[in-house]
Amino acid sequence: MRQVSRREIIVLSAGAAAAGFAWTSGAFADAKEAAEEIAKFTGGKTAEKGKIAIELPEIAENGNTVPLMVTVNSPMQDKDYVSDILVVSEGNPRPGVAHFHLTPMSGKAIASTRIRLAATQNIVVVAKTSTGQFFTDAKLVKVTIGGCGG
Amino acid sequence: MAEKPRLKVPKEAKKGEVIEIKTLIAHIMESGQRKDKDGKIIPRKIINRFTCEFDGKPVFSADLEPAIAANPYLQFFAQVNESGTFKFSWTDDDGTVVTAEEKITVA
Amino acid sequence: MRISVLAAGVALALLGAGFAAAQSKPLPPLDTKGDAAARPWHRYSGWPTRDYSKFNTLAKLASPPAPKEPRKLDAPITGDPKHGAALVADRSRGGSCLACHVMGPAGGANLPGNVGPDLSEIGNAGREDEWLFNYVYDARVYNPETVMPPWGTHGLFNDQEINDIVAFLKTLKAPASFKTEVDNPEKRPPPVEKRANLDPMENPGMWAVEKAQAMYKTRTASGFSCYTCHTEPEKSFKAWAATMPKWEPRLDKVLGVEEFVTRHARATTGADWPMETAENRTMSVYLHYLANGATIDVDTANGPPKAAYMRGEELANRKLGQLNFACMDCHGKSADHWIRGQWLGEQRGQYDHFPTWRTSLQTVWDIRQRFQWCQVNIRADELPPDAKEYGDLELYLAAKNVGQKLSVPGIRH
Repeated sequence: MRQVSRREIIVLSAGAAAAGFAWTSGAFADAKEAAEEIAKFTGGKTAEKGKIAIELPEIAENGNTVPLMVTVNSPMQDKDYVSDILVVSEGNPRPGVAHFHLTPMSGKAIASTRIRLAATQNIVVVAKTSTGQFFTDAKLVKVTIGGCGG
Repeated sequence: MAEKPRLKVPKEAKKGEVIEIKTLIAHIMESGQRKDKDGKIIPRKIINRFTCEFDGKPVFSADLEPAIAANPYLQFFAQVNESGTFKFSWTDDDGTVVTAEEKITVA
Repeated sequence: MRISVLAAGVALALLGAGFAAAQSKPLPPLDTKGDAAARPWHRYSGWPTRDYSKFNTLAKLASPPAPKEPRKLDAPITGDPKHGAALVADRSRGGSCLACHVMGPAGGANLPGNVGPDLSEIGNAGREDEWLFNYVYDARVYNPETVMPPWGTHGLFNDQEINDIVAFLKTLKAPASFKTEVDNPEKRPPPVEKRANLDPMENPGMWAVEKAQAMYKTRTASGFSCYTCHTEPEKSFKAWAATMPKWEPRLDKVLGVEEFVTRHARATTGADWPMETAENRTMSVYLHYLANGATIDVDTANGPPKAAYMRGEELANRKLGQLNFACMDCHGKSADHWIRGQWLGEQRGQYDHFPTWRTSLQTVWDIRQRFQWCQVNIRADELPPDAKEYGDLELYLAAKNVGQKLSVPGIRH
């Protein structure tokens, strides 16, 4: 398995930092595992920031079922469509969340599901197009802390 | 996976229209992280794959991980150009596959 | 013996249908013997197992009295502010101070609450050590109306720990710095429930409706089902659940829907559906669902219903448990504020969605389990679900929700 270079991690980090939030999701090791998962998906290619809208609540009232919608700006024509959308977590026990496969018949590059979040963390989305390009974005979700303790 | 999956697919559409499809299946999606009363890990058991085809052609599919919430819900779109049948499948870790179909009339 | 009770019950119901125009309807058959829930009552697995019998419950008063005066300190406080910082953020110590207060950097300023004032600059407020100590030990000596738990009197923190907390408070001299805007409770937008709670694609609680429709027609060993007597549930129960809970003279208590289901099923079909079982909850969801859109309208006008309401009001204002909270402390005085990352709802606008699906637990909760859990959480001994005190409390709560329209099952975290 090809090692992810420091430069690639920095490129992905820079993309996320440009979105205006800090790494708050804990140990860097989790972000690293997420980056490795993404590197497997992109084959090491750089993913550019853009084209992706991630709908996630700012605060999840509990981490058990959090609604997620990903929209990628794409014509979804035979010559140019989104073929894959990868969703990766930086703060769960394992980084993988879902890998959506789309076709021109999808009509719109939109996928929605409900996910589990172990703790406050970034969710990273990477989209692959039929022309071999990669796009990425990330969003921070705070998983709320209950009021009454135990 | 005892219950029938729930589907929301329009019954009719215009030619070329992009329709929204919602799917839901009752499933515990046991993550493999939880422990039982004696502290032993409860083994993972999830739906790991979902597929949607229209008249045999792939439309949308998903590889799912334990981070997908219980009762996995998937919403996506499909462009329809002629009448036909959507076929859906959900595959459990243990190999069982649940399928469902919905017909659509396209004018 | 059981068959004759059943036959009598069915006969009564059939008679009742015929007499409806001429006379008032006969009372629905109810099993008036025994309990409607498991005895002895055990807490749910996963709930704290501590015994709080030394503190008030809804059924008895037991808490130690408030001190009459502040304690005098012989010497200035010596405490460890680092340990104090850890204590104020420690959720296992009764929620921690951060549940209600912003406290500068404590707990990483991670989603603190705002029920109480922001204490980030209390170190500059000119407060004496003795005042700070006593405020934490038992704030009632300065403010009898306080919502603050009596951390010292009720044994939540010992003297040295309070010294450490005071030492930490004295270091707080600058506003908190939040990592994100939502961490700041003053800027955090209140949660808005946008989920379509009556859409089975959105709310697994709705699946109970289908299950209940099947249960409704399933005959028991007696040969009867609910359907035997109630052939048109959509018509017959179009508003029934919105008139519950109700004073039941034969039991000398208020009955909610769940307890009614248990006792009525026992006296008619013989179905065994104790409170807080899956079957009971399924039926309760269904019976409420049939009355969706109906306006809550409970009787508290005269006599025993009115007395029950007055008792319920007293209970809603009784300080309970080691944390010394009354229902109205959180859902009245502190409503529409944050405790840690959770929003405190007011007493109006939640009861109309019970029973509710809970996404964090992947199950349906009825109102009695909600009462029980609130109590356990504030470190008070809960009562069994069919306790008469819960009936009084539920009647009071329903009365405060008169005018709301039912929308069941709800969906919540």
